[in-house]
Amino acid sequence: MGLRGYVAKRIIYSLILIWAVITVNFLIFSMLPGDPMQQFVAGLKGNIDEERYAQLRHSYGLDKPMHERYLLSLGNMLTFNFGVDTISGEPVFDHLRTPLLNTLLLMGTAAIFSIIIGILLGVIAAYKRDSILDTTLTTGSLVTYSVPIFFVGWIIILFFAVQLHWFPSGGIAPIEWGRNPPTNVLQYMIGRLTYIFLPALTLFLFSVGGWILFTRACILETINEDYVLTARAKGLKETTVLYKHVLKNASLPLITNVALAFAFLVSGAIITETLFSYNGMGLATWRAIYPTPILPVLQAIFYISGLLVIIANFIADLLYGVIDPRVRYG
Amino acid sequence: MATSKARLSFTFKRLRNTMSQVLHSKRGALGFTLIFLFVIIGVFAPLIAPYDPIKPFMDPGQYPAYGVNGPKIAEKLCYPSWYKYVPWIQKGSINVRETFNSTVIVVMGQKFSNVTSLSLTKRIAKPLGIKAIFKNGSSRELIPDKEWTWDPKRLRVIDINWKAAGDLPNGTLVEANYLTGLDISDTIVLMDDYKFSSKESCSVLENQTNNPNLVSIEYNSQDGFEDDGCIQITYLGSKHTASDGEANATLLLPFEYSYWTPPASFDTHFSARVEATVRTEVIIRLWMRNEILDETFLIATFPLSSTGIYIHKHPPSTNNETKVNIGPYPERSIFPLPANMSYGLTIDFPNKEKDVTIYIDNFQCILYGNSFGLLGTDNGSPYPPRDIFSTLVHGTRVSLVVGILSALFSTTIGLFLGLIAGYVGGITDETVMRFADLLLVLPTLPLFIVLISVMSATYGLVSMWNIIILITFFGWMGFSRSVRSMVLSIRERPFIEAAKAAGGGKFYIITKHMIPNVFPLVYVTLATSVPGAIITEASLSWLGLGDKTIPSWGKILYDFNVSGIAVTKGLTEYWFWIFPPCVSIAILATAFILLGFALDEILNPRLRERR
Repeated sequence: MGLRGYVAKRIIYSLILIWAVITVNFLIFSMLPGDPMQQFVAGLKGNIDEERYAQLRHSYGLDKPMHERYLLSLGNMLTFNFGVDTISGEPVFDHLRTPLLNTLLLMGTAAIFSIIIGILLGVIAAYKRDSILDTTLTTGSLVTYSVPIFFVGWIIILFFAVQLHWFPSGGIAPIEWGRNPPTNVLQYMIGRLTYIFLPALTLFLFSVGGWILFTRACILETINEDYVLTARAKGLKETTVLYKHVLKNASLPLITNVALAFAFLVSGAIITETLFSYNGMGLATWRAIYPTPILPVLQAIFYISGLLVIIANFIADLLYGVIDPRVRYG
Repeated sequence: MATSKARLSFTFKRLRNTMSQVLHSKRGALGFTLIFLFVIIGVFAPLIAPYDPIKPFMDPGQYPAYGVNGPKIAEKLCYPSWYKYVPWIQKGSINVRETFNSTVIVVMGQKFSNVTSLSLTKRIAKPLGIKAIFKNGSSRELIPDKEWTWDPKRLRVIDINWKAAGDLPNGTLVEANYLTGLDISDTIVLMDDYKFSSKESCSVLENQTNNPNLVSIEYNSQDGFEDDGCIQITYLGSKHTASDGEANATLLLPFEYSYWTPPASFDTHFSARVEATVRTEVIIRLWMRNEILDETFLIATFPLSSTGIYIHKHPPSTNNETKVNIGPYPERSIFPLPANMSYGLTIDFPNKEKDVTIYIDNFQCILYGNSFGLLGTDNGSPYPPRDIFSTLVHGTRVSLVVGILSALFSTTIGLFLGLIAGYVGGITDETVMRFADLLLVLPTLPLFIVLISVMSATYGLVSMWNIIILITFFGWMGFSRSVRSMVLSIRERPFIEAAKAAGGGKFYIITKHMIPNVFPLVYVTLATSVPGAIITEASLSWLGLGDKTIPSWGKILYDFNVSGIAVTKGLTEYWFWIFPPCVSIAILATAFILLGFALDEILNPRLRERR
């Protein structure tokens, strides 16, 4: 089949997934009894005449039959047209562009660090199996894995922001930047980093435990294989055996896990950002929930996060194909 | 052929065997013990936690003026009551020394030698001395021209008069020493038997009247609001002569207020019935007296006329009472410092020549302190303040039920679909697995948020069961994947072939051969998928998307989040509000994970062999 065929297959698969997400999104909102316009005008307490109501329904395309509405929403989703915010009256996507970038920055930082450090610690834990280090690492991972993320976040705020005053407890950038933003690139980066550190640390602690446990399990699957014994018998250095023979073979399921971990991180990011008032998709979600739900915004957020996970999946699949030749030719 | 009894005993033996292995592994034993503890707490929650976790009231139905509810159980934002034993929390009297620049005390451009006043930052119980320190180092006491008196409307101000000749130049320091105090105070219920169900309950009350010839006060054991006893006050207006002035009757309850902190609030309550042959009016005054200040504070006056029915009052409630303004914070004025107090009710008889009988019942006063229960109270919105400990204990049930049921359902679905997909294969397999792939890709929390928002827009409220269904529906995929791959490998084993050759149908092979082989995995998955469900439920409640009618741990945290306490007071002052639920979620989730890993090591043969 070759690499090209494999990539084509993955692209088609991802497109099907995107279609499925859009369909789910459409179905959820057609679950509403009546139509969304009734919900909308319910707030006006009857101060709207029939003509205006019909006009509104028409402008939102609600008078069209179901299948036409479905096609319309398919087109709108693909072009990132999520309609207008029912509270502020502005297009939804305009509000989400900056938060999306901020979230990607936060999640990227947390993901990279947790993957690298998690894999390293997982390898160490598996290699020194049943030692005190292993028990500590696994138990610690089990605990961080099961502690709710808002608790981790609160403890981090208490310790680093309230007690030590090392980092700001929330926000995205210093308040005075609103009036005079820094011109110096270095100053800008340092400013952003101090604000991103605590939320990223929270997300890191949230996801690193899973990586340690998963890596440890994968390594334990491969460490007793015959080729590892052969490598040892050849007299290779233990680190070479561990990182070249064991980890390389164990890395395949790890790569698959990256995509799933991304879905996990999206959930974590919603809570972390709310906690730290970090202006990302998570905070946007909180603002769309509390005090009154703004459904178009929630719809857009769900779609975008689904898209993120699908893209991550796609990249993981590509990596998989590059690393494992069996996938390409199998 | 084994009998069903023998089979049952074999299953039981195997279970016991597994159990003892779990308890022998350290993690397993720890996890099991913790879960067992939480289950005990959950089952006996109503016994452990004395108060209603959602709408707590003190003696509901027992105070007629409150309707079906009783008074609130405590003031909002109480500290835990064991704070009073903590040595580093400031308690008792405090001598405050404050310094002011002399320009501060200039009033309306008047001369310094005239009356000036100092505005203090703390509530003042008693001034101890005021002196001026001049720039050259000499100092002089400022002597008040008259004895300092308590002015409830000006709690933080001391009026002084500069007696010594001369001016206070600008920049002179004025040093004020005064007494104030802080305490962790308990809620005090003044009357134990406020319904007067026995004569002894009257012995704590003192009766006074200015005209014993006309007024008699006695205990009546037959009448009363629920005919269980009351105080009967009889006024013989027909005997009134010109030499008698206006008569009154007083019931008063002396008590000792021993805290330096005034009560956060107080609730008074009484029921009264006025009986007369012709329409007659009486006036009932409720008051509080502070013996040290030697001052009586009028709380409210109630003009009542003879109607023959009981009228219940707890000010402020209705229009025909006058709430007397003692200042914005009456508690601070009435209870500035520890004192002997008395709470009283005085009846005036303006219709001097008419006979009246008054029955007084349900006479009560509750002083709410700033501490309550094991973990204090929350901010009480929108309901009355809740006991955090009770809510926490009842929350155990929610977390356990949501966690265990979701795990049970999703594991069952996963097992079923995995078996079908793996054993039947073909198009069924493809459909199920592609569907599972799709669900795995959807980010669950955003999806749950959207679904629950839509549901609550549609049906009003989300219930706990909706959340269980959601978690179940999005939680079976991983397990069905592993079941499928196991089934695929088992399918090729010789014993399945033998069963097929012997004429076993699909159903027979699945139930008798597949399920027993896959079952160890079920135990592990059951244990390891509980924490996910618990945390998901808590996260949803934390975002305010949970069931708001039941007390869950996440909901406690949501209440904290939207109360704004984190911004106004910081995270540390009300740590007892957020930390216990967080720690409980963490411990319960960890316990299940530990148990799951212990089970995995025992039941998963590949891991066991390597040990």
